[in-house]
Amino acid sequence: MALLTLDRPAKTFTPPADFRPDRRTPGQVIARVALYVGLSVASAAILLPFVWMVISSLKTNNQVFTVPIQWIPDPVVWSNYVDIWATSNMTTWIRNTLILSVGVTFLQVFTGSFAAYGFSKMRFPGRDVLFLAYVGTIAVPWQAYMIPQYIILSRAGLSNTLWSILVLQAFGAFGVFLMKQYYDSIPEELSEAARIDGLSEYSIWRRIVVPLSGPALATLVLLTFVNTWNDYLGPLIYLRDRDLWTIQIGLNSFASQYNTEHALIMTGSVISVLPIAIIFLAGQRYFVQGIATAGLKG
Amino acid sequence: MATLSAAPPRRRTRRPGARLRRRNTFIGWTFILPNFIGFATLTLVPVLILFYLGFTSWNAFGAAEWVGLANYERLLNDRTFHRVLFNTLYYAAFHIPLTLGAALGLALLLNRKMRGVAFFRTVAFFPYITSIVAIAVVWNMLFSAETGPINQFLGLFGFDDLPGWTVSTTWAMPAVIIVGTWREMGYFMLLFLAGLQTVPTELHEAARVDGASSWQRFLNVTLPCLRPTTFFVTVMLTIESFKILDLILVMTNGGPGISTTVLAQYVFRKGFQENDFGYASAVALVLFFICISVTVVQFLANKRRER
Amino acid sequence: MKRKIMSTAAAIAAAALVLSACGGDSDDSGTTNGNGDASGGDDAAPVTITFAGWSLATTPEFETLVEAFEAENEDITVEIVEYADGDDYDTQMITDLAGGTAPDVYPLKNLNHFFTYQDGGQLVDVSDVAAELGEEVSGVDAYVIDGATYAVPYRQDAWFIYYNMDLFEAAGVDQPDGSWTWDDYADAAEALTEGLAGTETPATGAYQHSWQSTLQGFATAQSPGADFLSGDWEYFVPYYERVLEMQDNGSLVSYSTVTTNSLSYQAQFGTQQAAMTVMGSWYIATLLAEQDSGDADDFAWGIAPAPQYDSSTTDQPVTFGDPTGLGINSAVEGDELEAAKRFVAFAAGEQAGEALAGIGITPAASTEAVTEAFFNLEGMPMDDLSQFAFSTHDVRPENTVDANNAALQNILGDAHSSIMSGSESPQDGIDEAMRRASDEVNN
Repeated sequence: MALLTLDRPAKTFTPPADFRPDRRTPGQVIARVALYVGLSVASAAILLPFVWMVISSLKTNNQVFTVPIQWIPDPVVWSNYVDIWATSNMTTWIRNTLILSVGVTFLQVFTGSFAAYGFSKMRFPGRDVLFLAYVGTIAVPWQAYMIPQYIILSRAGLSNTLWSILVLQAFGAFGVFLMKQYYDSIPEELSEAARIDGLSEYSIWRRIVVPLSGPALATLVLLTFVNTWNDYLGPLIYLRDRDLWTIQIGLNSFASQYNTEHALIMTGSVISVLPIAIIFLAGQRYFVQGIATAGLKG
Repeated sequence: MATLSAAPPRRRTRRPGARLRRRNTFIGWTFILPNFIGFATLTLVPVLILFYLGFTSWNAFGAAEWVGLANYERLLNDRTFHRVLFNTLYYAAFHIPLTLGAALGLALLLNRKMRGVAFFRTVAFFPYITSIVAIAVVWNMLFSAETGPINQFLGLFGFDDLPGWTVSTTWAMPAVIIVGTWREMGYFMLLFLAGLQTVPTELHEAARVDGASSWQRFLNVTLPCLRPTTFFVTVMLTIESFKILDLILVMTNGGPGISTTVLAQYVFRKGFQENDFGYASAVALVLFFICISVTVVQFLANKRRER
Repeated sequence: MKRKIMSTAAAIAAAALVLSACGGDSDDSGTTNGNGDASGGDDAAPVTITFAGWSLATTPEFETLVEAFEAENEDITVEIVEYADGDDYDTQMITDLAGGTAPDVYPLKNLNHFFTYQDGGQLVDVSDVAAELGEEVSGVDAYVIDGATYAVPYRQDAWFIYYNMDLFEAAGVDQPDGSWTWDDYADAAEALTEGLAGTETPATGAYQHSWQSTLQGFATAQSPGADFLSGDWEYFVPYYERVLEMQDNGSLVSYSTVTTNSLSYQAQFGTQQAAMTVMGSWYIATLLAEQDSGDADDFAWGIAPAPQYDSSTTDQPVTFGDPTGLGINSAVEGDELEAAKRFVAFAAGEQAGEALAGIGITPAASTEAVTEAFFNLEGMPMDDLSQFAFSTHDVRPENTVDANNAALQNILGDAHSSIMSGSESPQDGIDEAMRRASDEVNN
């Protein structure tokens, strides 16, 4: 996926209409300052729970939940960040989670964006019903059909292997739905022109539609990655062996009914958020104008 | 569903049309198939089994016993289920528009070239990836009836009968709605951001030249171009709202009493806790039919506007 | 066309259901992972059985049992399969049993899910094992259904008062003497709160955790004539009234504060925020470990019998606690079944009991040797009252082995949060729960 987008790095960037660095009136300057102040205050408020996570990761266990909340840890337990690597299999958990997240994301993006073309650009009988069936399955709570699904997968010998999570998450309806909606906003004229030039539907998908879908693909990659990364119930049901645990399952093993390592859980949570934040920041550059179509529509 | 399938393809009698349609069908399926194979065996089949289970009494072990409509008759008289259904509708009715508005607003605000925009977008997304335990603790502290900043703030305006928020049967649901919106706005903002990239700048320019105000441009350029995304976001948001579970579990655990117990929680309770998987399946099917009806309505409305 | 789709769907569903139905009943050897060559016919051939345990890193009891057993039975290897703790354990186990991937021997965390598994035909009849067990093993009766026994207990927890001797002294309040009723407990809590108010670290007199068990477990075990399954729950009302009064006069941190701040009893008692708390016997091992690691403060503490309904039961104090049992997967047969039976019989016995007591677990087998092993733990209080509380009591199970138990417990759980948060008065909350019980469960 990344390759596809990298082949054609964001085309010549046209600045959004309201961005004019050279002609700012004092009013605009004030508005801009107000915007930054507002955004900064809102950011601080939004990040409060995350700040609590970080602070809690620096406490001793029995200091995490107190009345009132202790905002400054005393003593500051930096050793939690060392202990978590020493006392647990954090490395294995991260490796498994990474394998799953990358694998699921790859399959979901590939099969999802491929299938979406069938739903968006091809017309054939039964298409809409099939599409509704896809969307419909999203509406069923997973706990309700978890057991029938588990029976099927364990009959196939896949339970207690990483494959189970991989095949389970990779073919979900979410990616198909997301990509289909995005393709819908790509003007039909583009593909028509390509058809006249003699391109097959597969070539149109690969050479025209996919390259235009940078923002949607970036969104799908990010959301699939995050959801697989943070999934708890799936790995809980399917993975037993310690060697197969993901971060979420691993962190939960610090919590037992009688004694919970709250501080270590928070330490692990902070560590586990970091890769996502980095990927998110890196993915920003794909959120740029993808389709220059005015000429066609005109 | 029948009307839907009948709508799009127009019946033609000419042979070449039929051949073209066959070819299109074939090509269409080759696109869908790689995903569909996995989807059908791992998701669709279990869901169809669930449809069957809704008409049985099943304890997860061994064969299910057919009981016809008994589960649904029981649903009709189950007053707890009615309350749980009401709670879910209550949550959805407020959470959907609030999140939609907040997410779209954030997306518009952060869809511009400015210094630090990547940072602010990341911040907006952070609630979605922050540990849910941390979210519950901090928000519960903010909502705390006697010492919480929210009530102190309200107190400044002279309100004296301050709400008890998460420990009050009246105010627990509004509290959960607020936190739910706060948590998910960044997620849906991202989807809107992707959609906004499809809005051609040239159209904005042309409208600006014609003297349209920014509000008019939003109404007449941005919104129409955003329609496929809006449809996607609304459907996903609807479904996710009706399926809300984890946030409720950590914030209130469905309490006090059953004032914030929702359908997904009831499914789990009846199934895994009370070992009544047949009844749990019936509850899940009710949830499914609500979601699918809302989706079909949106689908049809969307189709009509596209024309 | 619509009809065609529907009928195809129905066919697929039916086919898959047949599959799933087989899944539950089939008893081929596929159910036991990783013991491929274990089923030889030879008697002396080594056998491997699998055994479920949860949170192995923090719960050493499973490894302790296995080590003690393997030392005695060299021909049998027991492999532990790790599960999650809490409710997740049963979620995983139900799924595994349904999918035919569950281990040979699995613990029954509480009596509620014991019924689920037994009713679903997932447990082997182990009446023969139970018949061999001695008098000293308590809790076996809980696993009898229609005359047959389907599991044997290896562990029997009970609830006590934990109290901080230093804080009692600081407040100038008399320590428990083993004769307390709930009213005595409430009075002491109030006196403690007042006495500690002026000290450097004002602690509350008592701490009550948010679980419904902390109140309902006692009420059902102690109230004369209480019949949990009947749904006639008037007997809860006085218990609730008392605890609400304790909240109001400040001797307890309020329920709302406990839930909204996710307070833990380990932190509240262990860091001396409360002078006493009622809690289960598992907390002994945790408290010892936390005092050792520095997570908990260093203070003198003891255990006392649970407060009683009235003074008539102080010789043999009535308390509650579900036994924890071991059951055998009904898919197991042949040599593995024999090995599994030997393992569960061993786990219930005195030898395993001493090993468990050595790591702070209260075993089902209660003998003098067990009590001695328990009180030999480093840091254990040595006073007579603690020994009396530990060894002498009448433990009633918290859950009833019945199809309706789970639904009734859930209804009472709702009532608990409603009453404790002050949303409803005890009488109204219990009335509502009784109405729901008769509408939804006992109809």
